[in-house]
Amino acid sequence: MVKKLIVSLGALSLLFPAMAFADDPSAGTLNMGLNSIWVLVAAILVILMQGGFILLEAGSTRMKNAGHIAGKTVFTLGLCTLVYWAVGYAIAFGSDNAEHSISKIIGWGSYLFAPAVAAADGEALPSTIFFVFQLAFAAVSLSIAWGGFAERAKLSAYLVFTILFTAVVYPVISHWIWSPTGWLFAEGAQDYAGSTVVHLTGALAAFAATVLLKPRIGRFNKDGSANEILGHNQVFGALSVLLLWVGWFGFNAGSALGVGDGFFGYVAFNTQLGAAGGAVAALLISWLVNGKADITTTLNGGLAGLVAITATCAFVDPWAAVVIGLIAGVLVFFSAKFFEKIKVDDPIYALSVHGAAGIWGTLANGIFATDELAKKLNVGQGGIIDTGNWHQMWVQLESVLVCGGYVLVVSFIILGAMKLVMGLRVTEEQEIIGLDLSEHGAFGYPEQMKKAQSSL
Amino acid sequence: MSDSVRAKLFTRIGNTDDVIALRGLRDQFHEQMVTLQAEQPIEQFYTDLNEVHDALIRRAISLSEAKLARLGYGSPPVPYAYLLFGSGGRQEQTLSSDQDSGLIYEDAAEEAEREEIEEYFRLLSVTIVGTLQAIGYPPCEGNVISSNPLWCQSLSGWRAKLDGWFQEPDWECVRYLLIVADCRCVYGQDMLLHALKSHYYTDTLNNQTIVQHMINNTMRHKVLIGVFGQLLKEQYGEEAGSLDLKYGAYIPMVNAIRLTSIKAGVRETSTLSRIAKLSERGFFSEQDGLAFTAAFKLFMRLRLMTMTRTEDGVYTNSGKLPHAKLTRELVDELKAALRVVKKLQRRVQKQSKDRN
Repeated sequence: MVKKLIVSLGALSLLFPAMAFADDPSAGTLNMGLNSIWVLVAAILVILMQGGFILLEAGSTRMKNAGHIAGKTVFTLGLCTLVYWAVGYAIAFGSDNAEHSISKIIGWGSYLFAPAVAAADGEALPSTIFFVFQLAFAAVSLSIAWGGFAERAKLSAYLVFTILFTAVVYPVISHWIWSPTGWLFAEGAQDYAGSTVVHLTGALAAFAATVLLKPRIGRFNKDGSANEILGHNQVFGALSVLLLWVGWFGFNAGSALGVGDGFFGYVAFNTQLGAAGGAVAALLISWLVNGKADITTTLNGGLAGLVAITATCAFVDPWAAVVIGLIAGVLVFFSAKFFEKIKVDDPIYALSVHGAAGIWGTLANGIFATDELAKKLNVGQGGIIDTGNWHQMWVQLESVLVCGGYVLVVSFIILGAMKLVMGLRVTEEQEIIGLDLSEHGAFGYPEQMKKAQSSL
Repeated sequence: MSDSVRAKLFTRIGNTDDVIALRGLRDQFHEQMVTLQAEQPIEQFYTDLNEVHDALIRRAISLSEAKLARLGYGSPPVPYAYLLFGSGGRQEQTLSSDQDSGLIYEDAAEEAEREEIEEYFRLLSVTIVGTLQAIGYPPCEGNVISSNPLWCQSLSGWRAKLDGWFQEPDWECVRYLLIVADCRCVYGQDMLLHALKSHYYTDTLNNQTIVQHMINNTMRHKVLIGVFGQLLKEQYGEEAGSLDLKYGAYIPMVNAIRLTSIKAGVRETSTLSRIAKLSERGFFSEQDGLAFTAAFKLFMRLRLMTMTRTEDGVYTNSGKLPHAKLTRELVDELKAALRVVKKLQRRVQKQSKDRN
């Protein structure tokens, strides 16, 4: 047996001498290879975050909608991929129009993206991997928006909105801030991994949806008081936060887009600090204010810490990462109360977790960014504390206002038109019976739901 | 209520021969009390109210006895005492309190009669509970009620049961022991209850671990005041913005005072008289005693403002103080009182730790 193996290996090395005596790869190739490995792993982590959203959304809602809510994410992830490949990526990163001044607003070219199969000489990262990474971000933003649709939107609304959001909402913001030709990029807007681009964008789409859809049946009483519609599984909720938390290392540290001098490690380090601050602060504030430590608030706090540190992870000192997380945890608690007070039904707390904390994270760069890190990344300058200068704060504020304004207006137009043309919401009967049955004809929890129905 | 009005009412209750008329009297009396609520000092109001409740219950019992006699079961074969637990035992019933009751009867002289006597009192308690329900007293949700055989026993049966509870102090038994501490005889032979209570207090005072169990059992109700001195109100539902006065203020205070009394061997059942006795015996300083009394009177007053409704013909109450009634002055008063209770609660817990 061993003999046979040696003989055949010997014969092979005679036939293919390169196997035994390959040229050493150049330093550039090695560098590109290392970058590729890390960024592709990061992209996979970000795609795995969809698992977090599946559990988060399903756990925060009721049994009768569980199969629908979990399963539709797999469908929209697929559809989002096709649309981003066909159109979205072209608008976000297409460079055919780079010479023209319209490239400040949108990109052009690379429709039905057909990348080179390998990195060209001197390229730090194959464009295939860059594409997958960017696509994963678009899909996260879309899944955040679903928070505003939960438990009452028609399946067809998910279909149409996926197409329009991935084609004309997300890529535009992504272009403005992250494309080398984007106008906010040129102004030095600091949004490292997308507190604004990904999170605020998703949250404002969710806001438009939840306002146009109106609250779920039974969420508010006639006298204006709110009822608590408890999710059916808090364990899913906690697990989802852990999945998202881990995935976030791909989200933030992957945004270094390479290995380089190991700076992505610093990004990961700050990410962990921010998330920790958010979770701790949220539990404590709910305990102090309500007299009971609230689990849902704690979960939201961890996520809010992550959302807030997303823009800032590469620009601030460790102590600032902790402060940013702590404030995000407190903010998310009061924000949730605020939306409840103005009678906006936010089933998954997307508006507070991704919206309020997204704004906070973006503005926090204006306060805490250090000049040293801004110079290192060559994006903008230090914030108020380090430089005493308000310039960066204004840039951050501008990017929040302009991006927020664009997303809000376009989302309202898209969803408003959809509401007129096709209707967004299922009928009252369907909502009561649950979307599992009305949209898919089968329950996510068949045994339990059949029992519940027969006892009606 | 003036004395003459009251005397007239008692006479009418005493002379009423059927349940429907008795219910009519209760409704009529309720209307009077609602208008009197604002005019009287709160203690006086509760005293009047509980005297009338007692009179109604007594009448319901004697009507039930008469009914059994008519049906051929004869009159009670041995002396007995009808007991009230809970707010009835503490003479703190509101306009809408439920039935927490028990029955204790003398042991049979002959073993042969035992079963027959037991059967009679089973029947009697079921009849009494039914009659009281018809007058608008809902049965106790926790099933602490005389029609439950657990709470309708002979004196020796009760003693054996208490001993069992003391020896096996699991959560449920400790709850029962705490319920017995508030027990009061509303009808029949007071001596029977007296004998039982002597047994109870000897046992408790000899058994310090039971007191620790009692503390663990009752201190879980939190006083509804937060770290920043804010009121902890209901967050959700139709009652959002209201304050759970019953479980966030009244019950914690009742529990803390009851525990202190049990430890001190104070046998009074009403919270205010317990406080008075404890101050008299020096367990509370005069100043603390006054503060506790004032806080408890406030809770009693506010309890009358909690949401009352008539449901399926019986008077019920959510125990929650509606948001609309929480005026600025009231909130301040309430916060001050809740701080007093929190202090009291801490003191009860600390004392128990010092002992161990």
